[in-house]
Amino acid sequence: MKQLLSVALGVLTAIGGFVDIGDLVTSGLVGSRFGLSLAWATLVGVVGICLFAEMSGRVAAVSGRATFDLVRERLGPRAGLANLAASFLITVLTFAAEVGGIALALELASSVNYLLWVPAAGLAVWLVIWRVRFSVLENVFGLLGLALVVFAVALWKLSPSWSDLAHQVLAPHNPSGEGLPTYFYYAIALFGAAMTPYEVFFFSSGGVEEHWTKRDIRTSRLNVFVGFPLGGLLSLSIAATAALVLLPRNIEVDALAQVGLPVAVAAGKLALAAAILGFVAATFGAALETGLSSGYAVAQYFGWQWGKLVRPREAARFHLVVLASTIAAVATILTTIDPIKVTEYSVVFSAVALPLTYLPILVISNDRDYMGDKVNGRVSNLLGSVFLVLVVVAAVAAIPLMLATKAGQ
Amino acid sequence: MTVAAGRVIDLHLHLLDRQVVDPDGRMVCKVDDLELELDERGRPYVTAILLGPRALGPRLGGRLGRWVAAIGERLAERDRPVSRIDFSLVTDIGSAIAVSRPRGRLDVIPLEDWVEEHVIARIPGSRHESE
Repeated sequence: MKQLLSVALGVLTAIGGFVDIGDLVTSGLVGSRFGLSLAWATLVGVVGICLFAEMSGRVAAVSGRATFDLVRERLGPRAGLANLAASFLITVLTFAAEVGGIALALELASSVNYLLWVPAAGLAVWLVIWRVRFSVLENVFGLLGLALVVFAVALWKLSPSWSDLAHQVLAPHNPSGEGLPTYFYYAIALFGAAMTPYEVFFFSSGGVEEHWTKRDIRTSRLNVFVGFPLGGLLSLSIAATAALVLLPRNIEVDALAQVGLPVAVAAGKLALAAAILGFVAATFGAALETGLSSGYAVAQYFGWQWGKLVRPREAARFHLVVLASTIAAVATILTTIDPIKVTEYSVVFSAVALPLTYLPILVISNDRDYMGDKVNGRVSNLLGSVFLVLVVVAAVAAIPLMLATKAGQ
Repeated sequence: MTVAAGRVIDLHLHLLDRQVVDPDGRMVCKVDDLELELDERGRPYVTAILLGPRALGPRLGGRLGRWVAAIGERLAERDRPVSRIDFSLVTDIGSAIAVSRPRGRLDVIPLEDWVEEHVIARIPGSRHESE
């Protein structure tokens, strides 16, 4: 039972980190335009996030240091500061997207315009960060987020031709007649959504807050290898339901409501209610993670006290950063900018910033000075190097592809 | 000092930019810079950890470094020297640098104290641990 509960961190990270607003929208959108022909990008992303989250969890358990703590140590203060600036901006942009996502999900449930929900959502997120204990947070949002399993149920109820779906996944071709640049632009978006840097900031910081030691490496691995694949499965289900219901009818996803549409078609009203509950939980969990991560990154670069285990007074500057990020996120969405657009941009910019986060993790997890005999094995290093190349290619290609395809239009 | 005799410490690799923690496990600062002196035979040794933007700025270099240092100058009380932690307080050099005095008695992070007193302490619930 304890083992089961300890997986909650992974489930929260997975639900909130993997299946966040970026993933909900991108998966639905890609499913409705490209079928499952881009499923490989999600699968590659899942392997990548598992690999690097495992490393960052192991580093946190052995050295007691979270990811951004080590970024500065390895990159030096100047490159570290540049990295901080980029990571912080992207995290706050993602935070804004998540707050927008909560509001959109609440609009679906209440028919009250999302802009009215934005301040309430921001306040609720901040209050939870300010007052609620980590373990409560993990369990509540992890469990509620599981409501998204309804997408898997809906997929099953649509009783598709499984061999046809498998064929789309295994022998991908671009079905839509859209250009190859657009196809690869969305591949990078899915990859970026899967490997968003805040996931490892949050995961490693959570491990440090729970005082992981060498003995917890197993817990950490269990978290990673259950949580992220689960997240991946959920986003593939979302893409598959969109591919089955929306693609044949030429409906393109440009709003959160359309992501939930296939569930309503396949499994009825109650299932749609569960999906909306899942949207709220997933975006709320992700808002908590990104809000905290904005504070983690800054505090860990400058060496300030951070975290939820101490009284807010004892981590004053950390809480000031979180508060300021929350206000910035709410203000961004209140400009009436389209939250879905914010989400799409945050995912692509995440892809650009990936090497900044994942290179230091790979270096540190090979450093015997920190890691003793818990350094990377040969398989981790081989895969890690391959992924580093992938991540660099994605980062370099992201912006040119975005400009060339007018952000996928 | 409980640092094992004969262990080679590389200032860049093992000291600079590491986290400093106090005996209660609270985070104090990063090692933003080091203060060195020369002994009678002309060999340098570390006398203190320097911290804060005025210590970090010069290490960043360039215009950015001057900015950071200038911001630090603005934020600091008049005539207050750059914060330092005497190296005799250091008890361990590992994945973090441990010092023997609690954060509250070091008096090296006035900005944290200011933010605590003027912003965070005024928000209800700041004194309580999470529930």
